[in-house]
Formats: sequence, structure tokens, C-alpha cells
Amino acid sequence: MAKFNLFSEDANKSPLARLWRKFKNNHPALVGLWVFIAFCILAATAPFLAPYGVNQQHSDALLLPPSWNEMGDVRFILGTDDLGRDVLSRLMNGATYTFGLSVVAALITTMIGVLVGTFAGISKGLRASFLNHLLDVTLSIPSLLLAIIIIAILGPGLMNTVWAIILALLPQFIHSIRNLIVDELGKDYVTAYRLDGASNWHILSRGIFPNVYEYIVVIFTMALSTAILDIAALGFLKLGAQPPTTEWGAILAENLGLIYLAPWTVALPGVLLFLAVLSTNLVGDGLRKVLQARKAD
Amino acid sequence: MILDYILRRLGLLFFMVLLLSIFTFSLSYLFPGDVLSNLSGVSNTNFAQSALLEEKYRVNSNYFIQYIAFLDRILQGDWGVSFASGDSVFKHILDLIPATLELSIYALLISVVVGVPLGILASAYYKRWPDKLISSTAIVGYSMPIFWLALLLIMVFSLKLGWFPMSGRVSLLYEIPASTGFILVDILLADFPYNGMAMLDALHHLTLPTIVLAMYPTTVLVRFTRESMLKVMDQSYIKTARAKGLNRGQLIIHHALRNALLPVIKQIGLQFSTLITLAMITEVIFSWPGIGRWLIDSIYQRDYPAIQGGLMAVSLFIIIATIMAELTYTLLDPLSRNQAHGKV
Repeated sequence: MAKFNLFSEDANKSPLARLWRKFKNNHPALVGLWVFIAFCILAATAPFLAPYGVNQQHSDALLLPPSWNEMGDVRFILGTDDLGRDVLSRLMNGATYTFGLSVVAALITTMIGVLVGTFAGISKGLRASFLNHLLDVTLSIPSLLLAIIIIAILGPGLMNTVWAIILALLPQFIHSIRNLIVDELGKDYVTAYRLDGASNWHILSRGIFPNVYEYIVVIFTMALSTAILDIAALGFLKLGAQPPTTEWGAILAENLGLIYLAPWTVALPGVLLFLAVLSTNLVGDGLRKVLQARKAD
Repeated sequence: MILDYILRRLGLLFFMVLLLSIFTFSLSYLFPGDVLSNLSGVSNTNFAQSALLEEKYRVNSNYFIQYIAFLDRILQGDWGVSFASGDSVFKHILDLIPATLELSIYALLISVVVGVPLGILASAYYKRWPDKLISSTAIVGYSMPIFWLALLLIMVFSLKLGWFPMSGRVSLLYEIPASTGFILVDILLADFPYNGMAMLDALHHLTLPTIVLAMYPTTVLVRFTRESMLKVMDQSYIKTARAKGLNRGQLIIHHALRNALLPVIKQIGLQFSTLITLAMITEVIFSWPGIGRWLIDSIYQRDYPAIQGGLMAVSLFIIIATIMAELTYTLLDPLSRNQAHGKV
């Protein structure tokens, strides 16, 4: 059914400006964005911000509870672990590994995924069919399981985890990008463009990408939240980062034996992990909602 | 028409299993170490033994012959022996997979029973407080790392309150003979005086792992059902029905629900693969004797035949479950049969 659009403003705002104005009104998503930015800054500058060194031990302060506890010490705001290391410093540095490396992994996935997905989207016939069937196989295997397989081949370690996660995220990513491209290719403006004699490259670069890049950002946030969860889960299973690396999942696994004595050493890395994933999901959800809303008006 | 579709899906299933088997076979070359011992699980052989094994596994022939021999052995149930225990990998898998399936099935049941109605409720009260409450709880649960949730529940319910045990399937006091491998069924089948208490104990052991495992699929289903309902409620035929004077309840129950729940059925089937993966983590935390924990242990121990066997069993299950889910979906929804090519 055709709808009438009446533009009440004289000067129409650009698509991005409209996007931002709608996004601003979605408060949870906005808070998510601020937390997300804070995590990005923390991931980049943690070694300078942290009050103590990652492996600096304070033999006079073992297993101190957080400072708001009666037994706590204000020098160690979030307490210390069984080796007298400052929990706050370790957690801050963990942002670099868990969050920072996830962002890197998701970015690399995005680059490869957009390339291959576009190729899958514009190819036809046997090649497309083969690619899609191959995607079917790998799609039905969850990313974490795929990552575990790759770790089993490469051996445990932080960098291997990153490669494993990139490879494990790719099928889902390629699939989403392919669907985006195929959907766009079916639209009338592409046909018109093609009738004007535009080449595939022209259609992609001038027609399709300006229309889909915002959706690619949404897919990126989904890949990022999966990447964070997977890096931490592999660290927790002792297949990823190895102690004393300050990856949040690895810290959790390392302190598992202290769960009775010092519950904060187990609870706090989880809180950060949860916040990182939550903020990513909030931004992604908000963005998706805003894109839908902008399409509707 | 429908037969054609089923045949095409079966063709896809065949293709996927073929690729999976090729991948599993190539793992023995990809893994570090000797190919022969990776394939057979027998290390430290003397000359006569290794000559026998070479003959059996045909490692001196070309890759194709080796692969055929590999397929032949897989079909006969000879999956090699585990480095760690020296027992047949196939027997291990048969023993362990019921425990994982049991946990996953209960978790899936709970997530369907809880998730779908909550999603419908949220969409019925769109943008009012029940929707806001349910949606925000769902996104919190969706973002919660499963191992952290498990640890929090253990801290509160096992360590502080002492309501639930934190590991195992049943208390060591009860000796349950394993006939089906499903603990609740086994207890029902077993015939001894403390049956009721054993049942209660097993349920106690099941509670925490099931809740932990059900969390993620439940939130996915809540979100998906809600979106699907909202999409249907926005369509013209609903507007027509509303214009005819139906109230909200009639609209949802008679008109929206059937169409909105179709994609949800497909989504439920797709959850199974996620469940099996998350079950691996849950099993490690709760010391649940399932295939996931065994697989992770095999990775620690570099037990390559076990890793291969475990991967193949788990992936096979996931592929079959996915295809079954799609078939059910197609049987229920005639519209989806037309677009079968190259779609997931």
C-alpha cells in the first residue's frame, strides 16, 4: 500500500543526521554507546591508567576484599587476589585482551566477510550454489564449536584463539552480507542503473554499498558480541589465553579455586564481561531499531 | 512437490555428511603427530603391530583409498581407540551422548515453554510495561556469559543457601544401572526401594545445569517470537480483522499466532546446535558426565582419535537436527517450499 510522505521541514536532514537524532532518543542504546566508547578507550590506554602493574605482587595484602568492605584497603579499590595482585589493574588490562582483541577480530572478519559475501552475492550458477552449500555446512556448526575445533588443530594460546574466532565467525558473516547484497540487487534502482550501462563494480560501489553500510555495522556489532563471549569462553575453558595473561575469561578460570574464599575475584571479571557484551548488544539493537524506523518514515 | 523438496533436503544432508567426513578424515593429517596413531589411537607399537595397522588403515595407499577405508571403518563402528583410556572411542560416545542429550532436551523444553509465551506476551503489550520488562530482561539474559551465570548460581544456591548440589548427575549413594543412559528414565526402570528419593535427588542435580543451559535459548526465543509477532501484527490482514471489530485477544489467538509461530518453530530447531555447544561449557562447570566435557578433556590431553570421534558425533547430531527442523517447518508452511535453493 502506498503511503504519502509529507516533509514538514524545509531542509531535509541527511540520512546520517536523521539516524543520529533517532538514536539519541533511544536512551538504553545511548547509554550502551557511552559504555562501549569507554571500553574502547580503556582497551587502548589501560597500561597507562592502571594504578599498579599487572603482575606486581603485594605480599602484605593477600586476598584483600574490595575497599567498601570493612576488611578492605583503599589502596586496592577492588581488592587483591591470592598472589597480592591488584584486581582493578588486572581487570583494566583485561579490557585490552578481551575487548580490544575482539574488536580487532570482528574488524578483520568484517573485511574478509564483506569481500567474500559480496562475491557470493553477485556470483551466479554453479559457483553460487557451491558456495552456499559450503556455507550451509559450516553455518549449522556453532561458532564456539568451530573455534574449539580450530584450537584443537592449532593448540591453545591467545593468538590462536583470535584466528580461530575469526574463522569461526566468518560463515555467519558471509551469509548475512550475501543476503544483504542479494536483497539489494533485486531492487528496481539497481535494474535502472544496470540499464544505464553500469558495470558490476559501479553498481556495488555507487549503488549498493552506500545503501547497506549501516546494516554492515549492525552485523559487525553482532559479530563483536559473539567474539567477546567466545574469547572469554575459550579463556575460561583454558583453551585460549593462558594465565598470567589478564584476559577476563582466563582470570575467572584462574580464580575459580578461590570462589569460597574470595568471591569478588570471580564475580568482578564476569561483571565487566557482561557489561561489554551488554553495551555491544544495546548499540546493535538500537541501531537496528533506528534503521527500521528511518525506513518507515 | 513436497517429495521433491524432501529429496533435495536429503541430498543436502548427504552432501553435508560427506564434507564432514572428509574434514574429519583430514584432521588426522592436520593434527600434530604420527598419522597412523592419530587414525588408530594406538601408539608405541612394535614392528609387527604397526605393519598390521598399516595394512588395516592403508596408509601407504593414496588418499582416496585411505578415505574409503576410513568410511568403511566409521560405518562399522570402529572409530579407533582413545589415547587416554585405551577404550573404543565409539563406545565412549555411545555412553556419554545420552547425558548431553538429556540435559539439552530438558533445557530446550524449558526455553520453549517459557520463552515463546513470554515473547507473545511482550508483543501483546507492545511498548507498555510488560513489554519493557520482558524485553529488557531478555537482553540482559542474552548478554550474560553462560559460565559466569553458572558460577553466580553456584555461589548463591550451592555455596550460600545449599539448596542444590553443584556437580554430577546423582548422589553417589544411589547406584543406578545405566540401561538407556538417560538418568531419569534409568531411575524409573531400575527397581529398588529408594526409587522416589533417587528421582528427587536426580532432579535436584538437574536443576542448576538446566537453568543455566536454558537461559540463552530462552532469551533468543523471547526476542524472536516478539519480533515475529510484531511483524505479523503490522500486516494488512490484521488491520482488516481489526476493522471488522475483533478485540485484541481474538486477533492474537485466531489470526496472528499461527502465522507468527511458524518461523519460531524453525528457530527452535536451530537452537539445538547452540545448545549442544553451550552444553559443553555447562558440563565442564557442573562436572556433568556428557560428551562435551569428554571432548574438552580430550583437547587438554591431546587425545586426537577422541577429538575426531567426538567432533564427528556432535556435528552429525547438529546437522541432522537442523535438517529435521527445516523439514518440519516446510511441512507446516507450504510457502517456504518454493524457495529451497541455497537458503538456510
